[in-house]
Amino acid sequence: MTQNKPLLEVRNLHTEFHVEKRIAKAVGGVSFDLNAGEVLGIVGESGSGKSVTSLSILRLIPDPPGKITEGEILYGGRDLLKLSYEQMREIRGREIAMIFQEPMTSLNPVFTIEKQVTEPVLLHEKLNRKDAIERAVEVLSAVGIPDARRRLKDYPHQFSGGMRQRVMIAMALICRPAILIADEPTTALDVTIQAQILELMQKLQGEREGSSILLITHDLSVIAEMCDRVIVMYGGLIQEIGTIRDLFGNPLHPYTRGLLASIPREENKGKKLYAIPGNVPSIFDFPSGCKFCSRCEHVQDRCREEAPELRELAKGHLVRCHFAEELS
Amino acid sequence: MSTPILELKDCEVHFPVYGGILRHKVATVKAVDGVSLDIHEGETLGLVGESGSGKTTVGRAVINLLRATSPDVHLGGQILYRTREGRQIDLNGLSRREMRPLRAEIQMVFQDPFSSLNPRMTVEQIVSGPIKLHMDLDRNARRNRVHELLEKVGLQSSYASRYPHEFSGGQRQRIGLARALSTNPRIVIADEPVSALDVSVQAQVVNLMEDLQDEFGLTYLFIAHDIGIVYHVSDRIAVMYLGNVVEFGTAEEVFRTSKHPYTRALLSAVPEPDPDGKRPDRIVLEGDIPTPLAKPSGCGFRTRCPIARPECAAARPNFETFSDSHFAACPYTETLNEKGTPHVEPRV
Amino acid sequence: MIPTFLGITLLVFTITRFVPGGPIDRLMMEMSMSGSGEAGGGGGSAESSVDLPPGALDSLKEHYHLDKPMIHAYFLWLGDLLTLDLGKSFKYNIPVLELITKRFPVSMYFGLIGFALAYSVCVPLGVAKAIRHGSHFDFGSSFLVFLGYSIPGWALGLLLLLLFGAELEWFPLGGFRSSSWEQLSFFGRIGDQIEHTFLPVIAYAAGSFASLTILMKNSLMENLGQDYIRTAFAKGVPSRRVIFSHALRNSLIPICTGLGHAIGIVMAGSYLIEKVFNIDGIGYLGFTSIMDRDYAVVMGILVINTGLILLGNILSDVLYVLVDPRIRFS
Repeated sequence: MTQNKPLLEVRNLHTEFHVEKRIAKAVGGVSFDLNAGEVLGIVGESGSGKSVTSLSILRLIPDPPGKITEGEILYGGRDLLKLSYEQMREIRGREIAMIFQEPMTSLNPVFTIEKQVTEPVLLHEKLNRKDAIERAVEVLSAVGIPDARRRLKDYPHQFSGGMRQRVMIAMALICRPAILIADEPTTALDVTIQAQILELMQKLQGEREGSSILLITHDLSVIAEMCDRVIVMYGGLIQEIGTIRDLFGNPLHPYTRGLLASIPREENKGKKLYAIPGNVPSIFDFPSGCKFCSRCEHVQDRCREEAPELRELAKGHLVRCHFAEELS
Repeated sequence: MSTPILELKDCEVHFPVYGGILRHKVATVKAVDGVSLDIHEGETLGLVGESGSGKTTVGRAVINLLRATSPDVHLGGQILYRTREGRQIDLNGLSRREMRPLRAEIQMVFQDPFSSLNPRMTVEQIVSGPIKLHMDLDRNARRNRVHELLEKVGLQSSYASRYPHEFSGGQRQRIGLARALSTNPRIVIADEPVSALDVSVQAQVVNLMEDLQDEFGLTYLFIAHDIGIVYHVSDRIAVMYLGNVVEFGTAEEVFRTSKHPYTRALLSAVPEPDPDGKRPDRIVLEGDIPTPLAKPSGCGFRTRCPIARPECAAARPNFETFSDSHFAACPYTETLNEKGTPHVEPRV
Repeated sequence: MIPTFLGITLLVFTITRFVPGGPIDRLMMEMSMSGSGEAGGGGGSAESSVDLPPGALDSLKEHYHLDKPMIHAYFLWLGDLLTLDLGKSFKYNIPVLELITKRFPVSMYFGLIGFALAYSVCVPLGVAKAIRHGSHFDFGSSFLVFLGYSIPGWALGLLLLLLFGAELEWFPLGGFRSSSWEQLSFFGRIGDQIEHTFLPVIAYAAGSFASLTILMKNSLMENLGQDYIRTAFAKGVPSRRVIFSHALRNSLIPICTGLGHAIGIVMAGSYLIEKVFNIDGIGYLGFTSIMDRDYAVVMGILVINTGLILLGNILSDVLYVLVDPRIRFS
């Protein structure tokens, strides 16, 4: 991991949705760096703001009802939020690419694989069609599509779910972007297929020097498998950031600890699982003060009144909890 | 050992597929292709498998729902249910009318708590529906029972007048459990009961299900794709692949000393929630799961199996016995053990 | 396909057999009325006491297969159909096929032009409405298309005729062509034809504007919300191209498949509009034939219309395969 300037800096990002005259603060001030060459994970449940954060980076939030209201997203010395539409379009797919959760619906059903996979290079690199096809064959082979050249004329429905996710990855990587944002890339897949895709992403990451992955998932095990560092989100805010060793070895936030404790493990067989009490509030109902205070077992009056700041307790290990020191 | 409360003998569920201009039968989906299982009273049997394994269909076959949704399904074998009086009834042969009284005793909890509750009914109407059908209670007694059930599943009885959309996923799954328990069932078939829930809520529902099992002496058929959860809740586990059970044993036997190469691969494919626990010896299976429409001959797993041999195509392997309770449908499991976890060059 | 055809024709054939006041009755009634010199008399005077020789009645019945049992007669009719013999009209006493083929092009002309008009207006309009969903343009155009939808075609035709024909005298008061057609120059003919076409076509098409426009709009909006649209944006595809290539192709699928169904219906003509504009088309012929109990013509038109609709269905299926790669003939 290089220690020079981060590849991407997200500063105080706020994204809101206006739903039936109410405002849902999906992301309420998120800041983090994505370093060159690293795999950074964002883990959270529904309503945590993890997906909205990732979509905000590429400005893919549907507007209306969504709106990025505040913040900066710095990439290559420019604030992506200040770029014109046309400049932003140049970034998408070329510098920062994205893959999504649902491989079944994320490909256009009426276009051939060839048309979809070559589209980014035709758009961004102005390659001629023949070269674009060569590049597509190369990248489809690299993601493990057998007999790639013959399958170019096939349509998405002729591929299985795992194969479609490989096509998505090929399409995202064809312009050799610096950053790949992967939003729940394996959630819709079977376990043995998930293992294939994770292995592929690791292999490709090893080959793509200096490029980074931002991996969004709800599954801590996938984080442990794939990431260098991890961000834990809850209620639209970062609750904890650290290396995976920090986070799994020395979790500081009560929410992180709750999540880790609630995973069924071999040694807990026959015992009760730890369960975080209560339910994830609806996006309109998160408490003021600490977002987690309505479910936290160590809640104090201060937590309900005063929103905690994200504090650095050890180098690179930050947590948003008033009482993190006492609890650990 | 006592007679099992439920015994599946060579259970088959084949769906005909129609196609062509004349809508004739063009193929058969062998969703369940000769499954034998026994479930004892009070235990949790975990049924684990990936998409296309037939695990959900097994659950639906037991509650005899398949005939209603696809009238020309072929149901083979026997599903023997032991009643409270000790009689054995083959559920496979029952008409809807004959099945009706048994529905109270075998209930189901579904995966999607969002679509399995009628959005236009209050919680009270949802939970009291089966009570009306199966129990002879007057209005007040029904209401009391609903309130009692809601409290049992950890919901306030005042929620009875609310509608499903007012609840979170975890709370809806609790409502689903209350509905399932409303008729004092003996067996509850839980089809992926926690996989649609948030991680922090899954543990609550799992714990609740265990508490309810202790309190009411329930028998669970717990169907899920997540072997971690299945291992946690189950006494015994059956692993399914393409319509067949490939391994069957106590949770420990299947989890710790698995004998079938598929079980091994499945276990090793599950990521560990521990950055130092990365498995250097992971078996990453090549290729896709075949569709049940085009099942390979012989052993269904042979197209992806790291230790497959030409002989595997010939006939479906019989169960090898490893202990009183542990069976696996692979005759070459020895080679698996010799090599530890095999690593074989990719084959197409 | 073929069973549908047999079912429909058999059903109507049966009805024509059992509805009181068959063609012979009608014929005799007319003869008796013309005999007594009374025109437009009430139906109550239709008594079968006619001075027709009994042998003539029998030969008439035999000619129309009315002396045979119903099923037998149906198969005789079906057999004739296979040789393209649709029988003779009771009323006009000329072959049905001739009657129909003379009028068919007229109805088809208006139907096809109205149909082309509807599609060429509604598809772009629906796209524009989807893109500007919720704008004044969206609401205004919705108001207009639903206004067209809520007025029956013949009433709209009448209104148009009164306003633009009678009052402003911009357009002729109906008819397919001017009576002076033969004397007109080539360009004069074209102008004349356009003048006669304009109002009926609007009346034909106005009713279908609403459903088609809204179908197009909803289909495009639905597709714009799909995951693959987000994928296209994430690739850096320009938004025009996302809409007009990625989304539009998918949202045209229901429009295309509806095309086949619609075409069969519009070519069949519309009695009321043809009546209002004084156009001698299939719709008008069909209606008067029913009133006159001219069953050979009714059955003939039914055969043509059923055939058209079935052809339309086949066309729909073919279009479906062409536009949606997920559907294949197997």
